[in-house]
Amino acid sequence: MGVDLIFKIAAIGILVAVLNQLLIRSGREEQAMMTTLAGLIVVLLIVVQQIATLFETVKAIFHLD
Amino acid sequence: MLLKIAGSIIVILSCSFLGFILSADCKKRPQQLRELQSQLQMFENQISYLSDVITDAFDRIGKIGGSETSVFFSETVTALRERKARSASEAWENAVRNNIKRTSLNREDEEILVSFGKILGSTDLDGQIKNIRLTLSQLKLQENKAEESRAKNENMYRSLGILGGIAVVIVLL
Repeated sequence: MGVDLIFKIAAIGILVAVLNQLLIRSGREEQAMMTTLAGLIVVLLIVVQQIATLFETVKAIFHLD
Repeated sequence: MLLKIAGSIIVILSCSFLGFILSADCKKRPQQLRELQSQLQMFENQISYLSDVITDAFDRIGKIGGSETSVFFSETVTALRERKARSASEAWENAVRNNIKRTSLNREDEEILVSFGKILGSTDLDGQIKNIRLTLSQLKLQENKAEESRAKNENMYRSLGILGGIAVVIVLL
């Protein structure tokens, strides 16, 4: 699970970078911006579960609940 | 696992296919605009030198065919011969409006063609020829614009299709 997730996010990053370049080259700066933003949101959606787990763990370690 | 790989391949292939279709459409529009110009040129020659009536001239242009745009001419002739339209301009407008979806032309081109039809068959020879010249110059402008957007979009659509397919597969994997 852990390493797979990193690879997935890395792949999305590369793809978004290429798409960004492609769209800027063909003179569509706005769409390039949108693509970058979409990539960011997708990655955040993937990662948000993990972040929640992290917070749970931190809370459990320090007995904050 | 096998199912996943098969699905991924299908998704990538269909997205690339979509990209290729869009880029082919980009390529077709300037080509069709050029064909339309040569057909209008032909029409001008036929009414000015051969003194053909509009049905004969359109009939000949439509029969030469070979392109998606010649259907405008042949359908106008059919409508006129079968007395489905009250005037040449009405027949032309119907033919354009009904068949524009089958070509790669866009709304602006459609409006130019329809406004060409408005004067069709309602003035003397000089007026007709002036109308054809005007339409030709407008189509030339459209062709230049289409050529520009083709250079910009053709490659973009193709790579965008493939990359979009890969992106969908990665997100779903």
